[in-house]
Amino acid sequence: MRGLLGAVVGVRKKMASKISVVLRPVKSIVVRFCPFESNVESTRKFLGCINHKKIQATNRNCEVTADVRHDGSEPLVDVMFADGERLIMKGANLTTIEMLTALRSRCNAKELKEEQKSKKKSP
Amino acid sequence: QDDGYVRLLRRQVEEVFRDNRMIAVCQYNSMPDEDVVLMRHYLRKHNIEVKFVLNEIVRPVLSQSKYKNLLPLFVARNILLVSPETKAKEMLRVLKGVPQINLLGACIDDTILSRQGVENFAKLPSLEASQGQTAGALALLPSQTSSLLQRGSVHLMALLDQHIRRLQAGETGSPAEPAPAQSLGAH
Repeated sequence: MRGLLGAVVGVRKKMASKISVVLRPVKSIVVRFCPFESNVESTRKFLGCINHKKIQATNRNCEVTADVRHDGSEPLVDVMFADGERLIMKGANLTTIEMLTALRSRCNAKELKEEQKSKKKSP
Repeated sequence: QDDGYVRLLRRQVEEVFRDNRMIAVCQYNSMPDEDVVLMRHYLRKHNIEVKFVLNEIVRPVLSQSKYKNLLPLFVARNILLVSPETKAKEMLRVLKGVPQINLLGACIDDTILSRQGVENFAKLPSLEASQGQTAGALALLPSQTSSLLQRGSVHLMALLDQHIRRLQAGETGSPAEPAPAQSLGAH
């Protein structure tokens, strides 16, 4: 299952659900936010999109957890990759689409690297 | 511009807030239908109903009611878990098995609580147990008063008893000891 490039066309609401992310290189995702704050909309929508069955199906071992707090902290998406790399996205000033695209591009880059590595091993 | 259906939905939301003691707001992330049905079933056992709500309907209703502070919760997709009782512990137990539903906050007995607040509320003992504990604590001090008041005369009685016993022992042969008289004099 590869080559899932979502069509990034136009700038309307339902677009976020069309962005497909391949979660294979991801170990875990923690979405942290304070629901009573007013800057959490994009982070919460990101959480909703990540939980979509198509994206979840790309890696059943990837744990997605929501960390709901009430301490005024910033909304945050903490992605831990299988190779030890970490991506932290501060959702207060990012849109859902920007976060999904950033995650997708990193996942695709890692997938590519993996493929190149496996091609080198078995010519 | 309000058509009848929108008015009906708004009235339903008002009723929900009026007729229930516990209203929990949760984020709904897409779940398979069977899981939704199962979750509804387990919550129904504790008299908790699951209601899917639209933000466009709920927001105007809340902004004109005393639940204004719940407004920030209503973005993205939400569901309400409502109940005329306040079985927070059972609700949390069911939700633990459903990772796609995230509890954001609740309004219990007209008090707005965060997620942590709900967890603390669930840990409280029942009302009867708290009342019993309070009554016990209040009754503790007066129960000590009577024994405190009696302590002096009880001690005196014990000493007199001992004195009598020793005098009787003295009559039957062993020498009488002046010690009891001295300790009596000390009081």
